[in-house]
Amino acid sequence: MNPLSSQALFDQASLSIRFLLPELTLVGSACALFLLAAFRSSRRFSGCLALGAIFAAAGVAFGIPEPSFLAADRFTAGIDPTGVAVFVRWLALGAGVIYALLGFSDSSRQTAPEYFGCLLVVLAGLSMVARVNDLLSLFLALEMISIPTYVLLYLPTKSKAGQEAALKYFLLSLLSSGVLLFGFSYLYGLTGAINLPLVAETLSKASQVGPVSPLALVAIVLVIAGLGFRLAAVPFHFYAPDVYEGAPNGVVAQLAFIPKVAGLVALARIFGLLTPDAPFDAARTLIPLTLWVIAAVTMTFGNLLALIQDNLKRLFAYSGIAHAGYMLIGFLVATEAGAGMQSGFDAVLVYLVAYGLMTVGIFCVLGYLTHTGRTIETVDDLAGLGRTNPVAAGMMGLFFLSLIGMPLTAGFNGKLLLFFGAFETPPTTPLKDLYRILTLIAALNSAIAAVYYLKAMGVMFLRAPLQPAAPAKGYAAFLAAFLCAVGTLGLGVYPKPLVDAARKAAPIPATKSPTVLVVSK
Amino acid sequence: MLNTEAIRILVLAVLFAPVALAALVGLAGRSGYRSARRLASLGALVHLGLTAALAVPAVYVLIDRSESEEAYGHRAANSFQPIFVPGDPSGELGSYETAWNLFPVAKAPADLPPPAIQFFLGIDGLNIWLVLLTSILTYVAVLVSHGSIRERAAGYYAWLFLLQAAILGAFLSFDIVLFYIFFELTLIPAFFLIGCWGTGGGRRDAARKFFLYTLLGSLFTLVGIFGIVLTNPTPVSQTNPDKTHYTVVLDAKGQPHYPKAGPVTFSIPKLMRNVAVWNHFHEIAIRGAELKKVAAAKGLEKARSGREPIAIPLAEDDVAKAEREWQTAKADREHYKSLQYWLFFALIAGFVVKVPLVPFHTWLPAAYSEAPPAVALLFSGVLAKLGTLGLVRIVLPLCPDMAVQQGLPVFGFLGALGIVYAAFCAFAQRDLKLFAAYSSVSHLGLLVLGTFTLTAEGLTGAALHMVNHGLTAGAMFALVGFLAERYRTTDMNQFGGLIGRFPIYAFWMFVICLASVGLPGLNNFIGEMLILSALFSPEATAPVGYGLGIAAASGIFLSAWYTMTMLRKVFFGPLLLPPTPTDVEPRDVRPHEWVAFGLPALLCLALGIFPQPVIQSMKSDVNIIVRQTDDARDRANDAKSAAK
Repeated sequence: MNPLSSQALFDQASLSIRFLLPELTLVGSACALFLLAAFRSSRRFSGCLALGAIFAAAGVAFGIPEPSFLAADRFTAGIDPTGVAVFVRWLALGAGVIYALLGFSDSSRQTAPEYFGCLLVVLAGLSMVARVNDLLSLFLALEMISIPTYVLLYLPTKSKAGQEAALKYFLLSLLSSGVLLFGFSYLYGLTGAINLPLVAETLSKASQVGPVSPLALVAIVLVIAGLGFRLAAVPFHFYAPDVYEGAPNGVVAQLAFIPKVAGLVALARIFGLLTPDAPFDAARTLIPLTLWVIAAVTMTFGNLLALIQDNLKRLFAYSGIAHAGYMLIGFLVATEAGAGMQSGFDAVLVYLVAYGLMTVGIFCVLGYLTHTGRTIETVDDLAGLGRTNPVAAGMMGLFFLSLIGMPLTAGFNGKLLLFFGAFETPPTTPLKDLYRILTLIAALNSAIAAVYYLKAMGVMFLRAPLQPAAPAKGYAAFLAAFLCAVGTLGLGVYPKPLVDAARKAAPIPATKSPTVLVVSK
Repeated sequence: MLNTEAIRILVLAVLFAPVALAALVGLAGRSGYRSARRLASLGALVHLGLTAALAVPAVYVLIDRSESEEAYGHRAANSFQPIFVPGDPSGELGSYETAWNLFPVAKAPADLPPPAIQFFLGIDGLNIWLVLLTSILTYVAVLVSHGSIRERAAGYYAWLFLLQAAILGAFLSFDIVLFYIFFELTLIPAFFLIGCWGTGGGRRDAARKFFLYTLLGSLFTLVGIFGIVLTNPTPVSQTNPDKTHYTVVLDAKGQPHYPKAGPVTFSIPKLMRNVAVWNHFHEIAIRGAELKKVAAAKGLEKARSGREPIAIPLAEDDVAKAEREWQTAKADREHYKSLQYWLFFALIAGFVVKVPLVPFHTWLPAAYSEAPPAVALLFSGVLAKLGTLGLVRIVLPLCPDMAVQQGLPVFGFLGALGIVYAAFCAFAQRDLKLFAAYSSVSHLGLLVLGTFTLTAEGLTGAALHMVNHGLTAGAMFALVGFLAERYRTTDMNQFGGLIGRFPIYAFWMFVICLASVGLPGLNNFIGEMLILSALFSPEATAPVGYGLGIAAASGIFLSAWYTMTMLRKVFFGPLLLPPTPTDVEPRDVRPHEWVAFGLPALLCLALGIFPQPVIQSMKSDVNIIVRQTDDARDRANDAKSAAK
């Protein structure tokens, strides 16, 4: 019998499709946008269409009930719609609204349909990263984020810096994808499976009876390297400053956030941290130590280099690297299975949302300010913004305070959960007190980071303006920035809904007993 | 009877009214500096009234509590007992708890409250006077800013009120993370106040330096807070994790049952109890293991002398088991102790920077000399008290063993060093603002020294001195502001013989200076005498001898020396005045300045004559801290005698 006409396969495929309706809506709209580009190329038209597509996807996600999914299906199904999948889908759609609004002032008339089409594909890819259930489709989902990004970077190829950015990102991203795929092939070779939970389970079972296979370690290191590029973790960060500098605001806003979410969620899923089953027991290997070193070096390196930046976008590139370091702390803590902690990957999810709000918010403000042709390249170009554009400066100040981690902002709550989780990891784990030291390093890094954020704030509010007040025009970008500001402040004052949602998305694995604590008698 | 519910609402009103005022002044005061300052001074006065309305019943209840404790000879409570807690689930004076959760950081067993950061505010003897002081000094600060702040006045007053709200929040907090949140929030208004309305050219750098230095310190404190919270969870029963378990229970066989670690808590009173309990359990576990060891050794002897050789290996097993248990118990305690050691230094870091204690004061000269006088007034008057209150509210109760062990030798020494060093610095200053700043640092050194004596006198003196120092240091900056407003300079060398030119001003300056040097009959005298008496009491200072006491006493002498030198330079001798920046001839104290100088001066006098209500209302809370540290001292002495 022709396997392609098998009824079972057909049933499974149709089931998978029913779990992907919102994503299909997004991709379908993207295709429509690409086609329409031949007839009508208008910024407003394409933008509204994209916004409509995002809301339509949200409507589909909200309105059409998904088929039931049993926990046991996880080992066979092509799609796993439970847990983190829902969280990331709504995150992608929410971020999509912001990006689409920012796109109104960021895209040019000629390329608007392509710009918004690519954006929709990226969003669909992000949502799929959390949802697809095997190595191959995970790779495809990750590429669905990368490939439109190449296009987005190439679209405004007017400047040399822009071309350099596009080329650099393209080549390095290809390389990292190759490394990732290489790692995936090892995982498949070792376990004979491509289903994610099955891979994690086979690895953890194998590690329980004997020593951890060195090939598994190679595979995991390759996966970390491949995804580390997306996180912009040291030493895979080299592209970030140049690409940020050369790319337009809207694309940088995407680059700063979406690959980080995708990379971390993909890592967590490959490690099996997001399912209630036992994750791959990496604690006995050198993997935690490797991650520890990467996290510590990433944040320290990012912050120290950010200190000496004058160019605003380069500054945010390094700041993004540093924040990747903080997130890796949470990831590292989540890998400590069975150590008796009360938090896991949920802290990373909370931090991702907070980080997204504040970083994307900053690029929205920049998009709003540069819409009318004003250039903001260096930190000094912000001088006196507090006098000329008080509302925009106020929002920007709020984002800076959130990045520093001041209370009443989302950034504080994110850091609080991350640091608390790291300190909570008991010294009975193989890394012993290193987690507490990592908390201290992170705290010190927050202080270093405050130096350059505060410098920018000082330039904005305490110095006399160098440029006359920019006439306010980019209302869409302003609205996007405003939404980010509301989110930053709202989740700063009352973070409970977000924390609850993150906990629901990333439950503590069963082996982690919820009550045992540091001092036990 | 007092309407408790209404007073709870009043607590919230006192905290949030400044936020509303900030919004009001920021929006409605935009038309010009006159309307902004009118609104601001009216608002600050109303808020002062609100605070007084809260303080009167609170002090009444607190004094009542102390007196009844004395009358019935009660032992001090084992943790802080905040009254008028908003969101208290139970009756009249309450359960000293709140039900208002901000967000749960972890899951909890069924029947226990979830480990959540809470919106836990309350009043006790330590904070009520500081709250009142904050409202008084904010009013004074607004009055002092009348003439000097004309540019963007609405924004200035709005930030001033936000600063007040953050300070009040930190004073009122009984949740350790909430305290930290407010503690950090003070940085934002302070940054803008120094950076935007500062008087010197270096104001931007000063603002940044202040922000970063304090942030660095408080991030260490945050790590320390995590550590304290995580190492002192609520003890729960071994068998039923839903039940708290604060005592060792004997089971049917007479075997002791120790509790195990339950959910973590962020409430300072609960943490305080947990700290005491875990320390106690670590001791008891060792004692119990020692007893078992003795019993097992006896059993072995008996078995050897007995006729049944089969019992010998069994008894040997028992001995080995008891030995293992003893080793584990000891290792547990050592681990707990060694972690406390690091946590103590982490925890205290943010506070010693905020106070500031020499040598962590290097942000201070820039910040104080660049800030407008009214802001410097709030900085030294109340913001510094965040540091000292942090010591008595968090460091001493939650790290009592380390406070006993390291307090006087390390931080007491730094306090004493600061007294003398800052006194000489004050003497050498030419700028009146810096003179006032260093004089304030010198007095704060004495305050920290008093705190770490860990005796009732020392802590009462320190708590009283917080209020006294706030009044005198605040008034001193208000008085410096008088000259800054009229002449745009505070350089001492440009002034002389002011007593002839501004007699009323000179009068207020003399009163405040005399209060500052500790003249009997004025406020500082009482606090300083209490601290000195504690420093010379052998029980408190046994580990360090009388050296610190001598340094403190010399500090009081030095303060008279530099203050009198300043008065001689500026107020006596031939008249010397810098050129006035405007054509208008400066006038002597104007009506609003009468209030700004007179109010703190009168309170200095009042506290000098009738300190009893303040001392009495603080008494029970001071005793709570002393109980905690006395227990720690007993433990230390036991360990010492055991080692011998």
